[in-house]
Amino acid sequence: MSKVIVVTSGKGGVGKTTSSAAIATGLAEKGNKTAVIDFDVGLRNLDLIMGVERRVVYDFVNVINGEATLKQALIKDKRVDNLFILPASQTRDKDALSQEGVESVIEELKADGFDYIVCDSPAGIEKGAFMALYFADEAIVVTNPEVSSVRDSDRILGILQSRSKAAERGDTVKEHLLVTRYSPERVEGGDMLSVDDIVEILSIPLLGVIPESGSVLQASNSGQPVILDKASTAGMAYSDAIDRFLGEDIPHRFMDIEKKGFFKKLFG
Amino acid sequence: MEIKGEMSMLNVLHLHSTNVKEIADQLEKKRDEVPSFFLNSPVIVDCSLIVETLAELDLAALKQRLIDLMFVPVGVRGVEPEQQAAIIKAGWSVLRAGPKSSKKAEAAAVAEEASESDEVKAPAEVEETPVASANISKLIEKPVRSGQQVFVEEGDAVLLTHTSAGSEVMASGSVHVYGALRGRVLAGVHGDTNARIFCRSLDAELIAIAGRYQLLDEGDTDLRGKPAMIRLDGEKLIIEALD
Ligand SMILES: Nc1ncnc2c1ncn2[C@@H]1O[C@H](COP(=O)(O)OP(=O)(O)OP(=O)(O)O)[C@@H](O)[C@H]1O
Ligand SMILES: [Mg+2]
Repeated sequence: MSKVIVVTSGKGGVGKTTSSAAIATGLAEKGNKTAVIDFDVGLRNLDLIMGVERRVVYDFVNVINGEATLKQALIKDKRVDNLFILPASQTRDKDALSQEGVESVIEELKADGFDYIVCDSPAGIEKGAFMALYFADEAIVVTNPEVSSVRDSDRILGILQSRSKAAERGDTVKEHLLVTRYSPERVEGGDMLSVDDIVEILSIPLLGVIPESGSVLQASNSGQPVILDKASTAGMAYSDAIDRFLGEDIPHRFMDIEKKGFFKKLFG
Repeated sequence: MEIKGEMSMLNVLHLHSTNVKEIADQLEKKRDEVPSFFLNSPVIVDCSLIVETLAELDLAALKQRLIDLMFVPVGVRGVEPEQQAAIIKAGWSVLRAGPKSSKKAEAAAVAEEASESDEVKAPAEVEETPVASANISKLIEKPVRSGQQVFVEEGDAVLLTHTSAGSEVMASGSVHVYGALRGRVLAGVHGDTNARIFCRSLDAELIAIAGRYQLLDEGDTDLRGKPAMIRLDGEKLIIEALD
């Protein structure tokens, strides 16, 4: 059975595309046939973060308009088996996505035997974000530890449970909270909300906490999803989140201030 | 159109026109002068100056425009009782007249009542015809999230989880929240003064019963974050501990 997962947030720049790339890669690494779709028509970021921007010939909108087949537009990842990227168009606007068009692409991916279809949502609560979430079975809500981001996530959760296809059928979309850019120092200092505060406000299950990490920018500059950087804290936290998503029960890491060891204190 | 601060954080929009576009354009200009002040601030729409032509005003569209402009629409006031049904249909709650105009409005109402009927009514009866709400309730199982509105037109609203900041729950009867109450809550919206509000953790932005409303700012009650019941005593909202 294929599952459609939307990675969404409401607020912009919180780490949706970074997370979509990491999650899709992580699911594929575990042997699941996975497609990741860029719904941010007009901006096109996912292909950069996935390092496939030079291989983009056709895009999502071409497929919807019948100018290319899905097979022609899907880019097969060279590092991880079972991973495919459907890039967004850089030249169109968000109105190029029609509900029927999106549905036909998703149905075709399901028929092709994809286990997971990851939808990278644009920011906002307008048409593009709505298209990305409409067909979702599960939602990964990306939130930064700040009030405005939490508020926007709350809004998106309301929209998910009232206006998605699942909600229209009377079902619920399964919710997961992914807190990103978490900095324990700034939480301690009172500049940021703690994970506990966020979970209390949103009241949805916590999938993972991704620490603020310089390796995220490095990874995106080199076109490699950060989850492949097995030595970075962000990469490890994404790997943990994938394991949890697939049903394992693992403790959360990187949520406390790193205690400097004796040698670090002396020399670091 | 004219906008005035009346209580802390609460603005009253006095309408001079029924043209939604005109109102919204002016409001946008005002807002952009002091965006930080107006952002997400609750507004009450006062219709007393356009009460005759109120039917021409598309209240649903006005509400949507206010939300688009990042205001938090609270309710409409300054309207005639027979206009209330249409206002509620358009997704608004009806509030009591403002502090200054209320005396005048009430005096007028008394005068009208008296001239209509030959009998002299007891003042209490004239001032308020008690409206009882139907004895039914609606169960809401999911959280009411920011930007969402739940409206139980007839009866009580029973919420199994929480309401979020930026949400709104309205009921003609009482409102029961078995979780945290963080948004706006309006009970007795058709005028039932016996309606009450119950919640497991009080963190509401605004509370109202039968049109009497109050913003809950920091420090307004020591029951913040605690189980509470809110009822109406005359014109005053009373917040009591619930254990
Ligand atoms: N854990 C992290 N640590 C440090 N930087 C991060 C982290 N996650 C994301 N970033 C940075 O935040 C910025 C925004 O990330 P990203 O593009 O993934 O967000 P987005 O939610 O997809 O944005 P948009 O709303 O524009 O689509 C990028 O510069 C990215 O490198
Ligand atoms: Mg993005």
